[in-house]
Amino acid sequence: MLKLNPVTRKRLDRFKQLRRGYWSAIALACLFVLSLGAEMIASQRALLVIYEGEWHFPTYGAIIPGTQFGLDYQYETDYKTLKLTLESSGSGRVIMPPIPYGPLETDLAVGDFPPHAPSFAKQHYLGTDTSGRDVLSRIIYGFRIAMLFSLLLLVFNYLIGVSIGCLMGYWGGAFDLVFQRLIEIWSNIPFLYVIMIVASIIQPGFWTLVMIMVFFGWTSITWYMRTATYKEAAREYVMAARAIGASNTRIVFKHILPNSVSTLITFVPFSVAGGITSLTALDYLGFGLPPPTPSWGELLKQGTENLDSLWMVLSVVGAMTLILMLVTYIGEAIREAFDPRKFSYYE
Amino acid sequence: MNKLLFIVLAAFLSASLWAAPETLPANLDWKTNLDDPVFASPEAKRGGRFRSFITTFPLTLRLVGPDSNGSFAGYLRANALALVDIHPDTLNPIPMLASHWAFDPDGKTVYYKLDPDVRWSDGSAVTADDYLFTIKFMRSEHIVAPWYNNYYSNVIVDVRKYDDYTIAVTGAVPKPRDELLFEYGLRPTPEHFHQLDSQWVRNFNWEIEPNTGPYQIAELRKGKYVEFDRKANWWGNNKRYLKHRFNPDHVRVKVIRDINLAYQYFAKGDLDSFGLVAPVFWHKKAQGEIYDRGWAAKIKFYNDVPQPSQGMFLNESDPLLADKRVRYAIAHASNIQKIIDTVLRGDYERLNSQYEGYGDYTNPAVLARSFDLEKANELLDEAGWTERDRRGIRQKDGKALSLRITYMSSSHNDRLVILQREALKAGIDFQLQLLDASTAFKQILEKKHQIAWMGWSGGGLSPVFWEFYHSVNAHKPQTNNITNTDNAGIDSKIEAYRAAQDKPTRVALAHELQEMIHAQGSYIPTFKVPYTREAYWRWLQLPEHFATRTSSSVIDSMGSTGGLFWIDQERKKAILEMKSDNESMDPLLIIDESWRR
Repeated sequence: MLKLNPVTRKRLDRFKQLRRGYWSAIALACLFVLSLGAEMIASQRALLVIYEGEWHFPTYGAIIPGTQFGLDYQYETDYKTLKLTLESSGSGRVIMPPIPYGPLETDLAVGDFPPHAPSFAKQHYLGTDTSGRDVLSRIIYGFRIAMLFSLLLLVFNYLIGVSIGCLMGYWGGAFDLVFQRLIEIWSNIPFLYVIMIVASIIQPGFWTLVMIMVFFGWTSITWYMRTATYKEAAREYVMAARAIGASNTRIVFKHILPNSVSTLITFVPFSVAGGITSLTALDYLGFGLPPPTPSWGELLKQGTENLDSLWMVLSVVGAMTLILMLVTYIGEAIREAFDPRKFSYYE
Repeated sequence: MNKLLFIVLAAFLSASLWAAPETLPANLDWKTNLDDPVFASPEAKRGGRFRSFITTFPLTLRLVGPDSNGSFAGYLRANALALVDIHPDTLNPIPMLASHWAFDPDGKTVYYKLDPDVRWSDGSAVTADDYLFTIKFMRSEHIVAPWYNNYYSNVIVDVRKYDDYTIAVTGAVPKPRDELLFEYGLRPTPEHFHQLDSQWVRNFNWEIEPNTGPYQIAELRKGKYVEFDRKANWWGNNKRYLKHRFNPDHVRVKVIRDINLAYQYFAKGDLDSFGLVAPVFWHKKAQGEIYDRGWAAKIKFYNDVPQPSQGMFLNESDPLLADKRVRYAIAHASNIQKIIDTVLRGDYERLNSQYEGYGDYTNPAVLARSFDLEKANELLDEAGWTERDRRGIRQKDGKALSLRITYMSSSHNDRLVILQREALKAGIDFQLQLLDASTAFKQILEKKHQIAWMGWSGGGLSPVFWEFYHSVNAHKPQTNNITNTDNAGIDSKIEAYRAAQDKPTRVALAHELQEMIHAQGSYIPTFKVPYTREAYWRWLQLPEHFATRTSSSVIDSMGSTGGLFWIDQERKKAILEMKSDNESMDPLLIIDESWRR
């Protein structure tokens, strides 16, 4: 059983008392966990096919060619049609996910022109985009990618930023001076231009994009960590640790870092929000993930270009507002929970 | 060594340029053409201001040199007339700056008699010296235009002056007469205006060069608009094919950076016409009151011009695409018709070959391979791509049948995702690579692509095969043989085609070549748009036949098929009154299929 120190437990209790932030955190966590299993919520593959007494679970793994179910083609089975044929003949059963469309599937028939308006009959609950792909399905997968992207970004940024920031504060002197100037220069490189240049030469994939963003993103946190470390390093407990011969690494990572973590943690939700918005912005501008990756930015672009098909822009703006609102509520609550002054007095 | 050669050559060329006038060969058969039908309307009235738009302000007003090939260049080129032009309906040559022309028996020299009426916009006469200067100018390294440097050295090799109004132009290779006339035709350059030195590119960036066309730039607000004024006493006012044309007194080209915003300008009446070729405009955005109440009209006009070769260019040097069966299979697995029937709303048509719209030269028997999964599967099985991985993609010797499609415009995303999904059914995996246009083009010209999704603009009087399919252009960067086609049979036919001079032989060879290229299978044709669609306010009046066979646009203020419409001022007043009183008249939708093929 994890034993929390009393200060942390107090902060956690305080966080739980802040209902709005607490429930937002739970909601966001649920959404994220659900999105990890998006294949079971929105997919063109069936959850379960019972055919000739045999059970198939096509959701994950290799594709099952149509020939497996007595169809005359070798490509992936069209489960929606299979469902109709099996159920009318009574020779089997197909259970589809609640949204029976994958994020890349174009649902088009000759003579109908996407985008399609939302329709419950067709199970396009938020309509389709200009290529006939299900908007809801793309929002779900897009959310998963955006969350993973911003979490990865956060981890890398903080790993680099916190280490360098702490060392700057702890060692001070020339190291601090050199890095301060370096970071000042670094943070003045217009990162959007760099991305545009890179995107025009190679098409950035998920990892390249993370790396480019980390390349320019780690600097901002260093300032806070540097200040916090300076403050902590002057305290008696650090002196005491040094007196008993603790190594520099031990002092920085075991003593100073945990004590300055409250500064760090309040930034986390806002960094997540920042990650999501920057990926969306890049995709919107066309410098983000390559098509046909499901992405909120790309959907937003389609939406703003087709304002007469309002469902696209409304869906993605709605989803974004919801997620950013949740993140902001969490951030607010964390900041309050970590504030040592429980009450503020105004004189 | 090369330098020396160059100096000798330059000395030789300039000697030939500035040599004393020679004597014209005797018994030249001077030709002109004043018998073809007039295509402008005699009812046209002059006056008014035509308002049009561009999406970016030009970076220069030069006709050549860096940044001179933007969208604004069309306006400048339209006013830099050539020696002869093509009649837009009959496709015969018609006089322009030259009144007569004659052919030398050597098959590569044309003689031109210049029209003595032609004037520069500053009033001075256009004489043979201005054509000699064109050659000097175009060969100069100061203009920083390698393409022109090359063209005017290696394609047009000589211009000679006989007297002030007679010149001869000699090209590098003999050609059929029609083509000789246009390909070796040139436009004059005003010698008295230019100062050709190393600073030319910078010094003449914003200088307004005297021109020979109907309009000249009168006002320039950087970043905002360019205004052209009609020359009041233009030399062409009474010429047969120029009369009653170029009617507005002013043409204002406004910068509107966003196409959707530009449409809003049009809908408000601040632009006179608007192109509606894109399905989304024609079907969705161009709807509503201004059309229903009859203030604005829509026209769909079929034309008959060489079609741009929109399609997929397969790089034969790629190990996967070296196999003809794979290339055929890709063609059969590409569901172009589904793209047309869905996202393109059935507006575009299937292109059948790279050479459509060239009249007799087009081989009607060549048809694009249709979507047929069975054939695709058969071909791939035969080629040994029999295994399938867990995504259903075919494999051979542990390698997946995965191919990268390089394309340049995000507006093609919706077309390509359909292509991608459909090809997956045959076990072909298309990876979509969207690159910025210049980067993509660089990759393609360096032959580093697998499949290029693009098109060459069509043009000229007869198909061009050499640059696209001859093996001398294969396997090396910066040539147009982007399929790396290297086929001895095709090579020898292309050479025969280039050497042939009479039309029937050339037509027969062109037909054979189109079949061979189809059999080669490295080009998969996709779409053609054999029409133009536009909306215009009904104070614009059109001639009886609306436009011409080769009009790429109906409402076009300048250019060799343009300037046919006019602005009816009284009608404009009446329509604006109707608009403010919310009155209506009968809506007007014109669909003209006279030139539909």
